[in-house]
Amino acid sequence: MTDPAAAVTAALERSIAPTVIARGAALRVAGVRDGVVTLEVTGSPGAVYPLAERIETMIRAAAPGITAVRLVAPGPGPAGAPGPGPAGAAGPAGAAGPAAPPDPAGDLAAAARRILDAEVNPAIAAHRGHVTVDGAADGWIRIRLEGGCQGCSLAEVTVRQGIEPLLRARLPAMTGLADVTDHQAGPDPFFSPEKR
Amino acid sequence: MTAAGPRVLLLVPARTYRAADFLAAAGRMGLDLVVGSDGALPLGGGPVIRVRPGDPEAVAAEIAARCGPVAAVVAADTPMLMLAAAVAERLGLPHNPPDAVRNATDKARQRQRWAAAGVTQPRFEIVPAAAPEDAVRDAAAAVGCPCVVKAVSLSASQGILRADDPAGAVTAAGRIRQVLGARRSRDEPLLIEEYVPGPELSIDGLLDRGGDLTVTAVFDKPQTPDGPTFEETLLVSPSRLAAPTLAEAVRTAGQAARALGLTTGPVHAELRAGDRGPAMLELAARCIGGLCSRALRFPGGRTMEELVLASALGQPVPGPGPGRPCGVYMLPVPRPGVLRAVQGRAAATAVPGVTGLTITIPVGQRVRPLPDGDRYLGFIFAEAGDRGDVETALTAARDRLRVVID
Repeated sequence: MTDPAAAVTAALERSIAPTVIARGAALRVAGVRDGVVTLEVTGSPGAVYPLAERIETMIRAAAPGITAVRLVAPGPGPAGAPGPGPAGAAGPAGAAGPAAPPDPAGDLAAAARRILDAEVNPAIAAHRGHVTVDGAADGWIRIRLEGGCQGCSLAEVTVRQGIEPLLRARLPAMTGLADVTDHQAGPDPFFSPEKR
Repeated sequence: MTAAGPRVLLLVPARTYRAADFLAAAGRMGLDLVVGSDGALPLGGGPVIRVRPGDPEAVAAEIAARCGPVAAVVAADTPMLMLAAAVAERLGLPHNPPDAVRNATDKARQRQRWAAAGVTQPRFEIVPAAAPEDAVRDAAAAVGCPCVVKAVSLSASQGILRADDPAGAVTAAGRIRQVLGARRSRDEPLLIEEYVPGPELSIDGLLDRGGDLTVTAVFDKPQTPDGPTFEETLLVSPSRLAAPTLAEAVRTAGQAARALGLTTGPVHAELRAGDRGPAMLELAARCIGGLCSRALRFPGGRTMEELVLASALGQPVPGPGPGRPCGVYMLPVPRPGVLRAVQGRAAATAVPGVTGLTITIPVGQRVRPLPDGDRYLGFIFAEAGDRGDVETALTAARDRLRVVID
């Protein structure tokens, strides 16, 4: 019987790993349980998350029995474990009540959304840009750039030098920031890339 | 991504393909990055220094004062090369002499320097901007036909035309001056050089601080056109050229870089392996352009941008290593108009061996083919066990794309 983790690893190496590595990230099979593959993402998350659908399609085709793929950041806890968040840090919304089940991902996304709306969007509106929170999981916040930011040649600078440090400073529970924008579809980037 | 590594100043032009890859590389290396850009960003957060165009000395002084101590200064793309040299000089960091950078951005100066140093290159003549048609005709006759007429300041194959006789050279010169006029660069001379038939290749490398070239990648260009325009399309690595020819090409590229005065950092050289041996076409003080570097992988999964940053920090740089053959297909603009769609992307990326496809011009934008245009529609990437399979995959993927322009 084929080891599913080995089959997934081989499929990754064969097909998707060169693209991911060339874009500044790496993928590692952290575990396979109940048909769910957990892939650990290191390096630039923007090199991986836009490919998530393609990665899952490829893995499911290469390894029968796999039903889902999870992408996680490296953390101190067991990768892919559905239990508590990696840091267990209190969310910015305050102490959790004893009865209501906490939703750290929802808190994190909401907190990020408030910060972006209050401090980032008014500023990047000058470049016809806008940023939204796509979601949060395992301490990672997914953002989507729109308007002048979508496809802008300096979008990565905005994300890594502007948005990420701001969110890190305000949200200790955040372990990473992923830009999930389809930059190829940006119809009106503020700065268009040109070959030089 | 908490940065604890060395602090590096990265100068990023507003219009470039290269920003994301350099930032990703810096993130992977854990560098503490300061970004300088003329595309100033409206956000605070990480350090971003506004770079104003013009007056590089004043800008260099301002940047040097504001960025704090840095271990290296790196230009992400050509427009920042001069400024990077000026800032590094002011900060006492290793850098290319500004004159050397200037030499590398002017095709006429390159030819003159290489002639003085005995670098193998095509015969050439430089025709001043205001010269009459007879001067163009005489220059073409002097170098021999067919010849190639070039603008000296442009890149990405823009402003380059082949001419089969002196009269054709006059026509080509007029056409290129139109291109220059549209860019308000009418005052620059034209370069007229011998057309060198033969396989074309590009050599990427890094100069160590003593000026020795470590080769990072060699690409063959199997479908390089014979003219009249010279779109780059297919690039496949490693090269198929015979080892002695390749060694001679590398030696020539290193000699050419040193003849320009370059002493450190990335080099991208383009040559043709003609009857007289590998001849220098052009050289730039940067790594390969566009998104082409994404086709390459280095030991440990490192990217070309990581090697450039490591080299700037004085760290050892590995050679290309025994990686799998890889390649990239640069998609030229086929005709002028407004880009409406690039169809067939899913089919193209489904071709075995294809590892990625990126379209870099947004739908709705006006596009122009060579010799007027300076942009490519996008890039297809592939990797396979054999160079021929890479070429086949890239060509098949290209054939599945349908570019709609009207």
